[in-house]
Amino acid sequence: MSTPASIPMQGSNASRILTIATHTFTQLVRMKVFYFMGIFAVIAIASNFFDLPQHEGPESVGASVLRSIKSWSLGAMTLFSVVLSIVATALLLPKDVEDRTLYTILAKPVPRIDYLAGKLLGVLLLVFVSLALMDLLMVAVLQIRTTMVVAQQAEMAKAMGWPQDAIDSLRADTLASGPNAALQGAVLAVFLRAVIMASLALLISTFSSSTLFTTIVSFLVYFIGHFQADARDIYLHSGQAGEGLFARLASLLLSLVLPDFQLFNVIDAVIEGQALPLLTMGKLALVSLYYALFFTIASWFVFSDKEF
Amino acid sequence: MFRPPMAENPPAVEIRDLVKDFKTSFRRKPLRAVDGVSIRIMPGEVYGLIGPNGSGKSTTMKALLGLVAPTSGNCAIFGKDSLKVDSRNEVGFLPENPYFYKHLSGAETLRFYGRLCGIGGKILTQRVNELLALVDLEGARDRRIGGYSKGMLQRIGLAQALIQEPRLVILDEPTAGVDPVGSRQIRDLILKLRERGITVFLCSHLLEQVQEVCDHVGIIFRGRMIREGRLEDLISIEDQTDIVLKDATPELLAQIGDLVSKSPGASIVRTGKPRTTLERLFLREIREEEE
Repeated sequence: MSTPASIPMQGSNASRILTIATHTFTQLVRMKVFYFMGIFAVIAIASNFFDLPQHEGPESVGASVLRSIKSWSLGAMTLFSVVLSIVATALLLPKDVEDRTLYTILAKPVPRIDYLAGKLLGVLLLVFVSLALMDLLMVAVLQIRTTMVVAQQAEMAKAMGWPQDAIDSLRADTLASGPNAALQGAVLAVFLRAVIMASLALLISTFSSSTLFTTIVSFLVYFIGHFQADARDIYLHSGQAGEGLFARLASLLLSLVLPDFQLFNVIDAVIEGQALPLLTMGKLALVSLYYALFFTIASWFVFSDKEF
Repeated sequence: MFRPPMAENPPAVEIRDLVKDFKTSFRRKPLRAVDGVSIRIMPGEVYGLIGPNGSGKSTTMKALLGLVAPTSGNCAIFGKDSLKVDSRNEVGFLPENPYFYKHLSGAETLRFYGRLCGIGGKILTQRVNELLALVDLEGARDRRIGGYSKGMLQRIGLAQALIQEPRLVILDEPTAGVDPVGSRQIRDLILKLRERGITVFLCSHLLEQVQEVCDHVGIIFRGRMIREGRLEDLISIEDQTDIVLKDATPELLAQIGDLVSKSPGASIVRTGKPRTTLERLFLREIREEEE
């Protein structure tokens, strides 16, 4: 052992956050969370067989199966990403306190915000990698099935004597239902929703005393988020309640604190084959960033005064 | 009594009139865990804080590390306020019964803590190897922590506390739950730290162990410091003297007895054969069995 204090310390906040984030990612990977990928693979492949028999013309061949693959895959991605982001975040912080590993980390020159940011980024890294793998699988299945559907439609259209320009137009329509930029935008939207949920779970876990409480409250907020915009709308437009300044301020405050998940309905539109404008995507990214920052900063305020 | 701090050579630990209250249930009086404790440890000292369970030892250490905020009073490490993050650059901490991340190996654990302290590259690799050798865990470096014994956990805990070469090491019950062999290894490590000039602040309720390694002790009871000072001063019985003889004949002992009885005011308090401790006997037997 060399003489004391001979090691140069060059740790920056970014390097500490990265250390904690990569460690959190490794921790979750070694907890075997990737096993759910097997379930996703089964769902993605099984969704191939939900083809409703409506073979009245070439244009209806395989139309429902492509929608089914996208719907089931994006649904599974949403479920996995939301469950992962809530449960993993809710689990990590109390575990560190219970095992006293948090003492050893905070006894090092680690600011509490670095610890929180590292944990959150680690969970988000895991969700991102999981979504990327699921996306890859979905695109592969969808690509193969789209090629098959295009071939089937062309064959049937030719047999029915369709003109070449009509066959080309049908082919273009079918290809638009396959893997495209809008679908990737929808996957990104799924990730952004997970970002909000993970940061919310982080905030709740800073003052909650159990993983179960954090998980339940987070899921509750998730469900409230899906109808809070409607509820506010009904409240503000019904009778005289919505006319007062107080009601409007209260409604604004609620929307600033509780995320409005109806914004993410664009995912359903993509499943139906609609385009996802860049502007909508940008708006979604900004809103998500706002909620993630708001919840993380609020977590820091609670956590900075917490005693262990 | 506190001496004014010396700017060029601040104490390793300076705790002034520390009071820590914990909120209890609604309407009840807060629980005072630490009540006006003051401790000053100079660089290079090995200080033992002893007291029964629940006397405020761990709370005092946590306040020193900024894990709890003092209700009143203040704590400083090498002159830096404990509530500031930079005070932790020069301190290593081993909590009571630590459980590190079970999914990491011993070497990965040390690398993780090293990176948190801003160490990287070759220096970190070298430091990890050095510490694994120091705590005698080279053979278990790639084994997951989940499979470590209690004694191994304490030793890897001590190694992580030393990763950034701190000038102060804080150990909370370092030998709790460890068998006598593991306990001896940890005590030997503490003695090695002392040889290297590292300040050690440890707390324990195992008095014999504290006596073996510490040069200063404080006795804390119900949150109050009831006695403090140099170990030698505290435990020596001023009006008595030990003489240990080897191969003394009965005649020689009789002569000594005569001499003492002729000396006015002096008397023999006790004679007999010095005894080894049960722990030393245990360690000797184990060693002999191994050989």
